[in-house]
Amino acid sequence: MKNPSVAVLGAGNWGTTVAQLIASNGRDVTLWCRSEAQQKEIAEKRTNEKYLKGVSLSPRIHSTCNLTQAVRGAALLFFVIPSKAFREVARTAGDYLEPDQLIVHGTKGLEAKTHKRMSEILLEETCVRQIGVLSGPNIAPEICEGKPAGTVIASKFPRVIERATEVLLSDRFRVYSNEDVTGVELGGALKNIVALAAGMAAEMKLGENSKALLVTRGLSEIARLGVALGARAFTFAGMAGLGDLLVTCSSPLSRNHQVGVRLARGEKLPEILEKLGMVAEGVNTSKAAHEIAAERGLDLPLFEGIYRIVHKGLSPAKALEELMTLSSRHDVDRTLG
Amino acid sequence: MAPRRLVRARRSGRLAGVMRREDEAAVASEVVGRVLERSLAGASGPQGRPVEEIINETLYHERTRLSKAGDGETDRAYYARVAHELPHASEARRTRLLQEIIERYAREITGHFDPRVYAFATRLAPFALTALLNSLSPRRLLTRLRDVPGLDEHIIIQGEVETLRRLRRRGTVILAPTHSSNMDSVVMGYAIHEMGLPPFTYGAGLNLFSNPIIGYFMRNLGAYTVDRLKTDPLYRETLKEYATVALEWGYHTLFFPGGTRSRSGAVEKRLKKGLLGTGLSAFRGNLRRKRTDPRIYIFPCTISYPIALEAGTLIEDYLKEAGKSRYIIVDDEFSRLERWLDFARGLFELDLRIYLRVGRPLDPFGNDVDEEGDSLDPRGRKVDPEKYLLTDGEITEDPVRDAEYTGTLASRLLAAFHQENTALPTNVAAFACFELLKRKQWRGDLYRFLRGLGPEISLPLPEVEQEVEKLLGELREKESAGQIRLSRTVSSGDVAETMRRALRSFGTYHTNPVLERRGVRLHVGDANLVFYYRNRLEGYGLLGAEDLVQRRKVGP
Repeated sequence: MKNPSVAVLGAGNWGTTVAQLIASNGRDVTLWCRSEAQQKEIAEKRTNEKYLKGVSLSPRIHSTCNLTQAVRGAALLFFVIPSKAFREVARTAGDYLEPDQLIVHGTKGLEAKTHKRMSEILLEETCVRQIGVLSGPNIAPEICEGKPAGTVIASKFPRVIERATEVLLSDRFRVYSNEDVTGVELGGALKNIVALAAGMAAEMKLGENSKALLVTRGLSEIARLGVALGARAFTFAGMAGLGDLLVTCSSPLSRNHQVGVRLARGEKLPEILEKLGMVAEGVNTSKAAHEIAAERGLDLPLFEGIYRIVHKGLSPAKALEELMTLSSRHDVDRTLG
Repeated sequence: MAPRRLVRARRSGRLAGVMRREDEAAVASEVVGRVLERSLAGASGPQGRPVEEIINETLYHERTRLSKAGDGETDRAYYARVAHELPHASEARRTRLLQEIIERYAREITGHFDPRVYAFATRLAPFALTALLNSLSPRRLLTRLRDVPGLDEHIIIQGEVETLRRLRRRGTVILAPTHSSNMDSVVMGYAIHEMGLPPFTYGAGLNLFSNPIIGYFMRNLGAYTVDRLKTDPLYRETLKEYATVALEWGYHTLFFPGGTRSRSGAVEKRLKKGLLGTGLSAFRGNLRRKRTDPRIYIFPCTISYPIALEAGTLIEDYLKEAGKSRYIIVDDEFSRLERWLDFARGLFELDLRIYLRVGRPLDPFGNDVDEEGDSLDPRGRKVDPEKYLLTDGEITEDPVRDAEYTGTLASRLLAAFHQENTALPTNVAAFACFELLKRKQWRGDLYRFLRGLGPEISLPLPEVEQEVEKLLGELREKESAGQIRLSRTVSSGDVAETMRRALRSFGTYHTNPVLERRGVRLHVGDANLVFYYRNRLEGYGLLGAEDLVQRRKVGP
């Protein structure tokens, strides 16, 4: 790709970071923003203060509010849109998309009503088939500071992986590949549920052992649900599974973590979300996971406990007590083979 | 070959529908040329295989096949000669041997079309069949000639017939029907003629050619041979290339994407992607050669039988563990003339109707196609199909990408089969009875359950009628939601008429009545066939029933 025309749709903290990564590799990139104020700020001040405090953005990032302009002619597009708005943006973009364009999305969530993955929504709303997903342990501010990190791109189309890797890869940013789109999408989405619990555990000062317990059992439930939905078990040992889970549970920076902290302090969910001012995907994903598990008869005690805390007002202390007194089970889920 | 010649041949092909004799040799040589070129390009490529290795692979596969085959003396002798010569052959000689092998494959595959046989088959055969059947039925003999029902009253053709007629002039058509009986070839042949379409080229299993009744027509109606026992990748490649070239030359083609007849009676749950992918290859070939009307349209079709000719053998094969390896059945009802006559007699005497539905067309990428032949995206927006093949503005061949496209086409076809499947009274009665029986005496697994259903097992008729009524209600809901099609009787919701038709059908053709009424009870005559006829309604979640038919892969 000599003259890559790359566009990033969505200028939240991760979308802006993706654009910044591409731009710092010496490529021009279009960044589509929903709000005009934000577009202006990026164009004039080269900052996006609400989402990336103190980061100075590359002059190669060209912000726009015009979706048509951003979509048309872009050989490669990154969709980094909250799951809530994803379908609407995909549908609108679908008016201009062509079958030879490539799309990679970086949204770690499921559609609330349908439980659909973002790649499924893209297939329903656009003519594009060559789709991939970007996921992994990627805390935006750290990446913007140039700290080393890695990620995974999954697609059934080798060319999608190739091209997306080409624009993202640098000596600060490792890119791994996978064909299991379902697994990588679910890994990224479901770890947000565990992130909520990690926040609670931190606030409750449950110690390091409990954190390991949470990561291990969390991963087990992610894999069980994922495999039931068609993912490959081994995907969850990779970047989008264990990788993302580790960073999620150890870093207080993540939004889902912060929601967990506040829930443990006894704050109520609506107030927390209002104060946060950003999307915490784990809240919706927790509900989706609960519904999928009920529908398919899956036993996911940790997820269920978190669901009841977040959505049913159960106190974290009570949930912990319930979880700790469950009959013990085998260390490794044998059904995953 | 000069491009001008190609265009001319192609145009004449479109008009004639079936391959003309003068095209046969040209198509075959084009096929051989392409397969050879690709093999040699592979041989010299970075991960290429030497020609010797390709030939050795052929020897391995063919000799394994021949060791199990009874006949095949000519092939045996030929491969013995190749094996003997290969180690000492020069590079040029090896290439020549490879070409020879591909030529032999191509010759075997290539169909032959005889217009005289076609004229006979289309004009005379239905009449002859009708006359024959009526002479067998004394009641009909007494009626006046104009009251003699024709096949058109027994084979109901519905669906996108107009679109099919229109689009075959705007591109090349692939008809892709469900496959549950060898009668399908006959029914499709009749329907193609009845719809006013020119004859289609089609891929037919080798067993059809060896069938005493139908083989003659097969050989002379432009069918090309598919030998499923040949596992040599080179053979499969030659076969696919043949189908591709035929499409590129504008020959409308019919093949059964399921590959083999459904053993369980259920609508296909998986498809063979090899031949299905030829639509995409031909489209690309047409674009690269800048042909006019390059588009390929794939029309799903469903054929629904009230009684199925080979039901007995097929379901037995399904239930047998050994059935997995019995990919090709030669000794079934299809090869016995008297079973045909019984079947046809049933069809005429009982006023039975076979439903053939043409579904909405798809492009090679699995997109919907509108009435004008334009591809549509999932939201109904027009989309340029050529762009699916572009990489940086160039038309490319990308096996992984293209396999994904074909996979999407396959799942869209399966969905269409599911939606266009027509529920008939026999399916309804079998499904309702099966559910009632299952609730009463399920024994943990299907085989034990079926074995436990002897003639002594019966159901009270009112209970069955109640269940049928419930089922008809659910079916009508699914019909209005566009999830299934219903026959006239089933659609009417008339419980008594549905049962009457089902029981009459069940009582005629099969050796034992599938279900039989004795007084106020319904007795199970053949549990396996109840299962068979019920399976057609699987996968719709009717009566809260679980799916019992495995997505098992049949054959090698």
